[in-house]
Amino acid sequence: MASNNTAVADPKAATKKSFDFAQIQTFLPFVAFAIIVVFFAIATGGNILTPKNLTLILSGGYMLMIGACGIWLIMTMGCLDFSQGSMLGICCAVFCALSQVNLALALAGSIATGAAISLVNALLHVKGQIASFVVTNCTMFLLRGVVQLITTQNPVYAATYVQGSFNDMGFLMGITIAVLIVTYVVTRFTCIGHNLKAIGANEKAARFAGIKVQKTKILVYVVAGCIIGLAAFVNAIKVGSVTASSGNMFETKLLIAMVLGGMPINGGARARFSNIVVGVLSYLVLEKGLVMLGLTTEMQQLFLGIVFVGLVALFSDRSSNQVIK
Amino acid sequence: MSEQKLLLHGEKIDKKFGPTHAVKEVSLDFYEGEIHALIGENGSGKSTFTNMLTGILPIGSGTFTLRGQEVAPKNQVDANHHGIAIVVQETGTLPGLTVAENMFLGDEDQFVHAGIKNTGAMNKKAQELLDAYGLGHIKADVVVDNYDFEDRKLVEIVRSTWFDPDILVVDETTTALGEGGRKKLFEVMRDVRAKGHCVIFISHDMAEVIEMSDRISILRDGDYITTVNKSDVDEDKLKTLMVGREMDDHYYRTDYPDYTAEKKGQVAVSVQNVTVPGEVEGLTFDLHYGEILGFGGLSECGMHEVGKAIFGASYDRTGEVVLADGTHVNDINTAINHSIAYASKDRDNESLLINDTIEDNITIPSMRDMGTFLSDKKLREFADTYAAQMQTKMVNVKQHVSALSGGNKQKVVLARWLGKKSDILVLDSPTRGIDIKVKAAIYQLLEDMRAEGKAILIISEEIMELIGMCDRIYIMKDGKINAELQRSPELTDQDLIAKMV
Repeated sequence: MASNNTAVADPKAATKKSFDFAQIQTFLPFVAFAIIVVFFAIATGGNILTPKNLTLILSGGYMLMIGACGIWLIMTMGCLDFSQGSMLGICCAVFCALSQVNLALALAGSIATGAAISLVNALLHVKGQIASFVVTNCTMFLLRGVVQLITTQNPVYAATYVQGSFNDMGFLMGITIAVLIVTYVVTRFTCIGHNLKAIGANEKAARFAGIKVQKTKILVYVVAGCIIGLAAFVNAIKVGSVTASSGNMFETKLLIAMVLGGMPINGGARARFSNIVVGVLSYLVLEKGLVMLGLTTEMQQLFLGIVFVGLVALFSDRSSNQVIK
Repeated sequence: MSEQKLLLHGEKIDKKFGPTHAVKEVSLDFYEGEIHALIGENGSGKSTFTNMLTGILPIGSGTFTLRGQEVAPKNQVDANHHGIAIVVQETGTLPGLTVAENMFLGDEDQFVHAGIKNTGAMNKKAQELLDAYGLGHIKADVVVDNYDFEDRKLVEIVRSTWFDPDILVVDETTTALGEGGRKKLFEVMRDVRAKGHCVIFISHDMAEVIEMSDRISILRDGDYITTVNKSDVDEDKLKTLMVGREMDDHYYRTDYPDYTAEKKGQVAVSVQNVTVPGEVEGLTFDLHYGEILGFGGLSECGMHEVGKAIFGASYDRTGEVVLADGTHVNDINTAINHSIAYASKDRDNESLLINDTIEDNITIPSMRDMGTFLSDKKLREFADTYAAQMQTKMVNVKQHVSALSGGNKQKVVLARWLGKKSDILVLDSPTRGIDIKVKAAIYQLLEDMRAEGKAILIISEEIMELIGMCDRIYIMKDGKINAELQRSPELTDQDLIAKMV
C-alpha cells in the first residue's frame, strides 16, 4: 500500500481549479455591500458619506448588531426565531420598570426575561419536537399581545438616569463591539462553534458524532435570549420608554440583515461570522439610504422586500435542501 | 454472439464536476439481448455515466444514440418515456406515498380522466404488476414506509421494468438486497435480456458480475479501459483490469488461530439481555479485545440495530451494555467518551455531515480533547494526518464530503475514529458500495487494529466478508441470535446461509 501514491490528488492541479461557486458566494455579500454603498453615495450626491450621516447610521445599528449575534447563532444550527422583536419589547418593559429601583436589577431582569422566554421557545422546539419557526411564530404573537397589554394605558418609562447617563456613543459602541468579539471568539475558537455548524449541516449525523444536539440547542436559544435582554438595555437607553410597537419588525430586520450578509437560511457549514457584520452594515446603509432618497415608508418597504427576495434566491444553499422548511 | 444488433451507442460522453473530471470522453456500444456489466473502482465514473443516460444528471458533452435516434433525457420520467429505466443505489422510493403512487410517479396521467385521478384503477394495475412479478406480499395501496429497505427496492425494480424498457440500468443495487431479493432481481434482468433488450449492470461483486453478464466494460478514473467477453476473464483478471495493477494476494485474513489454545482477550463490551422493540430481542453476548466479531443474517433480521444498541443510539432500548470498567452505555456520548466508535450503514445520514468539510467531519468527536481554544492550524493538521493515514482521495480537507465517492466517504468516517483513538469499533456494513482496492485497505486496517488488541464488531450482509475476517460470527434471525460460528478454513457460505433462513 505504501507504494501507492495515487491516493492524493495532484495538489497543483487542485488549487488551480478549486475556485467553485461556493467560494464566490462567500464574497458576494462584500460585493453587495460595496454596491449598496456606492449606489447610495452616487444617488445622494455623496451626502450619505458625510461624518454626520455615518454617525447616524451607526447609532441606529447597535441593537441590530447585538441582536444579529443571537439570531446568527440560532440560524447556524438551522433553526429560526421570529419572536425576537416582541421579546425585545417585553425585556425592555421589564428593564424600564426595574430601572426605577436600580440599574443592576434592571439589567439582570431584562437578561433573565429574555433567557426565560427563549428557554420556553427552545423547550417547545426541542422537547416538543415542533419546528422552530412554528413555535417562535406563535410566541411572537403571544409576546406582542403581552407588550400591548402592558402599555395599554401608558408607555412604560425608564428612570431618567438611564437616558441621561448612558446615551453616549462610546459606551454603546463598546457594548456592541464586546458582544461581537465574544461571539466571534466563542464560535470560532471553541468546540461549540463547530458543533453549531455540525447541527445545521445534519442534526442526525451530529448526534451520531457525539454532539448533544438537544442541550446545545437549548443553550443557544437561552444565550440568544440573554443577548436580546442586552439589546433591550440599549433600546431603553436610546428610546427611554416602551410602547405597544417597541421592537416591532425587529426580527424581520434581523432576517434581512442576515440574508444581506450571505447567511445560508439552512445554516450549516457555510455560516460565517462575517455574515453578521457585513449584513447589518449593508442593511443600515440600505435603510438610511432609502430614507435619504426621500422614498415614502411604503416604497421603502417594497424596495426592501424586493432586495430580500432577490438575495434569498441568490444565496440559498440548494445542495442541502432536502425538504423546504 | 456472432451478429448482434446495436441498441445504444454512447459517443464521447464527458462530465466534469468542478475540479473533478468524472467521465472522460467515454464511447461505448450496447447490443440487443445482452447484460452488459460496467465495473470500476469507486469514483471511476460508472454511476456518472449511467446517470447521464437516465436523466439524473445532465450530459456534459457527447451523445447517446438509442435505436438510431439521439436521446438526452431531461429527468428519469423522460428517460422512461424513451425506454430507459434505472434502479439506483440508494433509496429511490418516496416516503409518505403508497406503493402504487411510487410505481407510477410522474406517470399518473394514464389514470387521469377529466382531471380526476382514478386511484382504484392505479392500485389495481399496480397490484397486478406486483403479483405478476411474484411479489404478492407487497400491497399496492399501503404506504411504502411500511415496508423494509429490501421490499422498497423490489417495488423500484417493478417500477423500472414493467413497461419493458429497452435499457435497464441496475446501479449497485445488489448490495442492498438479501439473498431472496437478489434472486428476484437476477430473474428480472434475465427476463429483460430474453426480450432482446439490454441491461447495464453496475456491481462491485466480481462473482456476481461474471455470473450475470455477457460482456463487461471497465472504467478507471473516468477513462474507458476495455470491454471483454465474460468467457475470456476470471475474477482476478477483472480485478487487475479495474485497479490497473496486480492485486496483492492478500485480501481477507489468512490466519487461523487455534482458539482452544489461545487465551481470549478481556471482555470489552458485555451486552446483557438487550431488547429494542421491533428490532432485536433478548441479545446477550460479549465482545472481547483482540477479536473481530461478526454479525450476519438476512437484511431484516435486526442485526443493524445491534450496532446502534451498543453505541447508545437506539430508542426505547432495554437491557444493559456494560464496558470493561463497569460503565453502562445508555447514550452516544458515554459511548464515544469510553472509546466506542460506530460507523452506520446509512453513511450519508448517520455517519457523515455531507454538506460540511472533510476537516469538520474528521475532527468533530476529537475537538473536545484539544483544549478550550482551538486553532485552525491544529484542526487542519489533525484532519490532514488522519485523512492521509486513510489515503483519502481529495483535493484538500476543506473540500465538502458530498463531493467524495462512496469509498472515500467511508475513509473519512474511519479517519474520524482513528483520530479519536477508539478501542472498540462497531462497523455496520463497513465496505458497502466500496471497490476492491479500498476494501482491501479497510480489511488490512481491521487486521492491524485487531493485532493492536482493539475490539472490533462487524455487521455485514456480505457472507464472504464475515467468513474472511471474523474470529467469531453470530448469525441472527428474527431479532435473535440463531447460531455462533467459530473461524475456520472449513467454514463455507452455505454454513452461514443455513442458519440465516
